[in-house]
Amino acid sequence: MKKVSLIFFKNDCMGCHACEVACKQEHGLGVGPRLVRVIERAPDFIPIYCHHCAKAPCKEACPVDAISRDERGIVLINNELCIGCKECMEACPFGAMQFDDDREVAVKCDLCIERLENNEQPACSKACATGCIFWGDTKQLSEKIVAAKSKSVNPKLDREITGI
Amino acid sequence: MEEVKKILTVCRSCHGGCGVIAHVKDGKVIKVEGDSESPISHGTLCSKGLAITQLAYHPDRILYPMKKGDNGWERITWDEALDTVIGKFKEVIKEHGPESIVIGQGTGRDYESHLYRFANLLGTPNVLTAGHMCYVSRVAATLITCGNLPICDYKAEPKCIVMWACNPQWTNPDEYKGEGFWRAYKKGSKLIVIDPRKGFLAKKAYLWLQLRPGTDAALAFGFLHVIIDEGLYDEEFVKNYIHGWEEFKERVKEYPLERVEEITWVKKELIRKAARIYATVKPACINWGVPTEQTLNCTDCTRLLTGLMAVTGNLDVAGGNVFFVPPPVRTVSQFSRHKDLSPEQRKKRLGGEQYKLASRVALITPKVAWDAILTGKPYPLKAGLLCGTNPVITRANAREAYEALKKIDFLAVIDFFLTPTAELADIFLPAGTWLEQNHVADNWKRHGYALARQKAVEIGECWQDHKIFQELGKKMGQEWWDTVEDALDYLLEPTGLTWEQFKEKGYLKGEQAYYKYKEKGFSTPTGKVELYSTVLEKWGHDPLPKYTEIPESPVSRPDLLEDYPYILNAGLRTPTFFHSANRMIPWLREIRPDPIVEIHPETAKKHGIEEGDWVYITSPRGRAKERAKLNDGIDPQVIVAEHGWWFPEVKDPGHGWDTANINILTDNSHESMDPVMGATNLRVLLCNISPCGVE
Repeated sequence: MKKVSLIFFKNDCMGCHACEVACKQEHGLGVGPRLVRVIERAPDFIPIYCHHCAKAPCKEACPVDAISRDERGIVLINNELCIGCKECMEACPFGAMQFDDDREVAVKCDLCIERLENNEQPACSKACATGCIFWGDTKQLSEKIVAAKSKSVNPKLDREITGI
Repeated sequence: MEEVKKILTVCRSCHGGCGVIAHVKDGKVIKVEGDSESPISHGTLCSKGLAITQLAYHPDRILYPMKKGDNGWERITWDEALDTVIGKFKEVIKEHGPESIVIGQGTGRDYESHLYRFANLLGTPNVLTAGHMCYVSRVAATLITCGNLPICDYKAEPKCIVMWACNPQWTNPDEYKGEGFWRAYKKGSKLIVIDPRKGFLAKKAYLWLQLRPGTDAALAFGFLHVIIDEGLYDEEFVKNYIHGWEEFKERVKEYPLERVEEITWVKKELIRKAARIYATVKPACINWGVPTEQTLNCTDCTRLLTGLMAVTGNLDVAGGNVFFVPPPVRTVSQFSRHKDLSPEQRKKRLGGEQYKLASRVALITPKVAWDAILTGKPYPLKAGLLCGTNPVITRANAREAYEALKKIDFLAVIDFFLTPTAELADIFLPAGTWLEQNHVADNWKRHGYALARQKAVEIGECWQDHKIFQELGKKMGQEWWDTVEDALDYLLEPTGLTWEQFKEKGYLKGEQAYYKYKEKGFSTPTGKVELYSTVLEKWGHDPLPKYTEIPESPVSRPDLLEDYPYILNAGLRTPTFFHSANRMIPWLREIRPDPIVEIHPETAKKHGIEEGDWVYITSPRGRAKERAKLNDGIDPQVIVAEHGWWFPEVKDPGHGWDTANINILTDNSHESMDPVMGATNLRVLLCNISPCGVE
């Protein structure tokens, strides 16, 4: 099975935060955990999100094996097993692991796994008005991003990456 | 438990008109998402739209009518609420005439057709809207110049886009949301950005012109100077379709690039380069925004930008600025029966003699309303009905707005929450959100679409605004319909569709045509683009546009510079909020918990201000407190501050309306306003900053 991933093309993030709210709505999260987050340093915007790392430091750090990586490469956390020790948060180099104070467990991006099963794109990607959130086949994604970066002016908007 | 029903509808968390699929389960909207089939938004949806469930089901939302009694707000029935409003209005009409009632709205939830119908049939010419300085002022200025508002034709892929004082991706877009622009940009359009602040688009632009705030009209003269000087204009268009070309050329000569550079702070070589690109890379369009309107140059600036489109031959051509053809839905004007307001009543419009252009588009500037309430001159306003508006936060000289609304004898408001303005009222009428509306949406716009906004749910006893005006109107004995949907059938009648059929269809688009002027001319008195305005001339104003220095600037008031050394560029919009709305929405407030003032790092250092410090911003009229964010993308002499702030979490009735409210600092004197439109200066004034220190 092909590996899937999520990538923000940072240069095109305009800091609208639609992805954040779409994600919260999709995952039923209140104030606190932000599975995707955009930091503003106008005119730059820095999206913080889970890269679903091949060798995921969060997974390695978890003392109770609550974090796994499925056959598509999606890094998932089992909240039933999580003991809330926050080791994964320390380990994640991107700051993508979040903590849900209400349930006292770590939470993370699941790439909208239920939506993927219904052939829908992740909620963040769907809401994004500049189309800077790419998801799908990891290898294709890397190629797309390299191609987008190499074009000096106005890389073409490409919503065709579906991958799965 | 029922299955999830999916209702196709249209957002109205700003002006955007984005397509939405509302997921409804057990009579409740559990989720919304963008509708991929929407011609406006193609499936995308912004943070405001996505957060609608947190607004609609907010614990503080008022779900039934209320009156203010001796012990504060108490719940009443709709009958009692409507009877109280109508009883008071009848009393005022009998004693003072209908003109002593002011009807007001904010940026609107697509109800202007209904609000104006109620006002016109009531007989009051005094309708107070945001239009004096937002959008309608642009419409009005183009109305007298070229007959209608020319919109960027993004679908036809402009080769050059001038983003002039506008950030449609972040904020309230007037026609399309920024997505249309972005698609065109991504196809390779050359982007020219005109903005005092380096935002995302300035970073993306081919050229960024960082002008002194408020000098847009002068910069437009700079463009025109280059275009005329270098013969880059469309000779055929100029010869056949411009009225007053010779006089206009003479006026442009008064603005050589040296002078323009001195006024605008933009290097003349950069102006030359930008003007050449705009005039020669065709088709080109200009997307301009409210900062050009919210100064005393309001009308002239829009007239100059229209001039740029016209002389370069970019008007009503594919990919330029075009007049979209709407579907044949009845217009706001027809529905609202503007023609039925008698000439005698029109003559009584407050400020109508002075602000003739505002009067032409049937609105008044707030200053004249506040004056009438506070001084009784030229006659008193005794009662008001304000719908979806929060003037104590969003209008110039907020303290005066507050005093006036506190003083008026009777005030009813239509809103979702007890805002600082609503707290001043006697009657509160609970409005439905866009999830609770049936409406032919966007029919007032100029983008060529009418969209079906379909009711997903009903919540509490809330009524959609249209129904409130309809039921008030019926109780006044006005001619209305039995139901909201009957009125929609009337709006849709010329299309041959009923509301039920239109709902199924989702939207209608007008048949687009270009170069319409070649057959019909322009809808102006001369049939041409009136760069020399016969209308303004008739009204006794300068028929040619000019740049007027901002009344409170380093140039016009050097005497103030010792105490107020900085230029305040007020009113920075943010993508999560819509003017004064949404501060109570948890998802959105988490993203932006505090009001932000942006300061250049060097300036901040001078004042001992660090990132995150609370800062007082002070003008000759008062002060506001916002939180510092350092930004080296603004001029060190410019301070950029957000607008719209109040604090729903503060439980006293003022809800912190005067702590971070940038309009405490702004001015609304007649001298500071546009002389024909009454546009207030919400944007550019002198200020100082100081750290608040430990409190």
